[in-house]
Amino acid sequence: MKTVLTKDTVIERSRSLPAFPTIINKILTTLDDVEANLNLLAAEIQHDPVIAARVLSRANSAATRTRRLSTVRDIYAATSLIGVDMVREMVMICSLGNLVYGAVPAEMSSTFWQHSVAVGVCSEELALHTAARVSAPAALIAGLLHDIGQLWLYRFDVEAYHIAWKRALSDAIGIEEAEREQFGVDHSTIGVWLAEHWTLPAAIVASINYHHAPDAALDEPLVPLVHVAEVLSNALDLTGRNENRVTSLSSSACEKLGLIWDKNIHPLFGRMEARSRHANALFK
Amino acid sequence: MKTRPRYLPLIEAEVGMLLDAPVRLVNSGFLTFSLPAGHTLTQDNLNQLVAHRAEFIYVAEPDSRPDAQVAADAAHDAHRVMEIFAGADLSDPNIMALFDQVVQYRSA
Repeated sequence: MKTVLTKDTVIERSRSLPAFPTIINKILTTLDDVEANLNLLAAEIQHDPVIAARVLSRANSAATRTRRLSTVRDIYAATSLIGVDMVREMVMICSLGNLVYGAVPAEMSSTFWQHSVAVGVCSEELALHTAARVSAPAALIAGLLHDIGQLWLYRFDVEAYHIAWKRALSDAIGIEEAEREQFGVDHSTIGVWLAEHWTLPAAIVASINYHHAPDAALDEPLVPLVHVAEVLSNALDLTGRNENRVTSLSSSACEKLGLIWDKNIHPLFGRMEARSRHANALFK
Repeated sequence: MKTRPRYLPLIEAEVGMLLDAPVRLVNSGFLTFSLPAGHTLTQDNLNQLVAHRAEFIYVAEPDSRPDAQVAADAAHDAHRVMEIFAGADLSDPNIMALFDQVVQYRSA
């Protein structure tokens, strides 16, 4: 083992990361109040011209499809055209994407974020497909943040991070085991420390903690959901990253979600592929 | 002409595309809009789909690839699936079932 990281070190070093977007916690606490949620989104978009441009661009693309003649120029018109769910999803992906892209160089952030977005939309699709007791936005956030500990490790020591990945791939061991050898803790634990520091809901913290070992916390619906979402993201080779591998899949997690692997699952695969490609296009 | 099925975000849908699966949009438990499989999309359909906030459609895309290219693409896809599952325990029925469905999905 080369280094033993502690929670204090992780939190202290996290202060040099771009600030965690406060809009995420606000969205999660106002999901049941559509009007409050919409006002929050409008305020956030007004403060961020990049997000505003992306939302309006998407709304105008939809407007073009319907041959609508006037240009969409404000968030409320955009919302009426593409729906509050779509606007919320774009705000969440863009604001967390800003954190990621501001934290590490593009060669890491791009691959990392594409995978995170893929797992986020797979989690959301699974939540809808399985009727799990999980809100789709919470599933998206949990998926987007499931590997946030890896981002921290990369920023902390890029060389040691690459050594861990190389060892995991060449010796066919889990990345968590390779990280524990290299850093004394794995990315799930670091993700938990960060998520707690950012005061994220306990369900999301649990999904980060157990996404590689869901059997320990199956009663928290987000846990099996994010685990299976990541496996499917790899199985379907979403984003086409070289590291996509399936090494394990919890039967208990699948059972908990009521998943049956037969041809009726193909439409879910199709939606996951299409949504992942579509959501990742936000950053191209 | 041969076709192959493909999910598309609505934003990529075009007039003249052929639906490979029915569209059924449900709001608050009520069916609010539907189109049958085999239907060719019109501009009115696109307007209605946007108005009903449809997100995706399943279309039959024209497939102009020669047979040799279809076979080469299928072999490439199969190889990649094998590579992704190389470290998985395929004696586990759950993983094997997922592997089977991914292979079938890729070969559709």
